[in-house]
Amino acid sequence: MASEEESAVKEPLDLIRLSLDERIYVKLRSDRELRGKLHAYDQHLNMILGDVEEVITTVEIDDETYEEILRSTKRTIPFLFVRGDGVILVSPPLRTA
Amino acid sequence: MSGGGEKGSMTTKTPADFLKSIKGRPVVVKLNSGVDYRGILACLDGYMNIAMEQTEEYVNGQLKNKYGDAFIRGNNVLYISTSKRTLADGA
Repeated sequence: MASEEESAVKEPLDLIRLSLDERIYVKLRSDRELRGKLHAYDQHLNMILGDVEEVITTVEIDDETYEEILRSTKRTIPFLFVRGDGVILVSPPLRTA
Repeated sequence: MSGGGEKGSMTTKTPADFLKSIKGRPVVVKLNSGVDYRGILACLDGYMNIAMEQTEEYVNGQLKNKYGDAFIRGNNVLYISTSKRTLADGA
C-alpha cells in the first residue's frame, strides 16, 4: 500500500503520540485545565506532564446580586502524573490555523 | 455476519458501520456534561475515543474555545451526530 508514515493519524491515540515532547492542553473533569509538556502517556490517557500550569475555574454566587462570578485559580507544578479517567479532551495548544 | 459487500453508503447496518462511514464529515459530538464539540471527524476507535479537526467547543450554545486538533476521551461521549454545517472550506 501507500506510505505508512509515522505521521499518519489512523486512530485517535496517534494524535497524542504526535504530541510527545510538545506542550499540550488537557481539559479535565471538575473544571480543571492543564498546560504542560507531554513526557509519556498510555492507553488510559494516564500522562506524565512537565512544567504544568493548572487552572481551576470555580463559580461563586454574589451574596447580594446573585450574579455568578467565575474565578480561576492558577498554580504551577514541575512534574505531574495525571490519571486518565479524569481526562475529557487533549489538544496540542494554540495551533489555531 | 455483517461483513457483506454492501455498497450503498446509506445502508449502514451497525453502529460501527455508521461510525466508519462518517469519517471526514462535519460532526457534532455531545458529551455527558452537555458540552458540544463541532468539527471534522478525523478518526475514532473502539472506545469511541475521537480525533477531530477544526474543533469548536460550545457551552450552553455559546462558542467557548477552538482547537486545531482535539482528542476526546471516549467515556465522555453521549452522542456523535453528523452536521450540515460547512466549515470555512470551499462552499
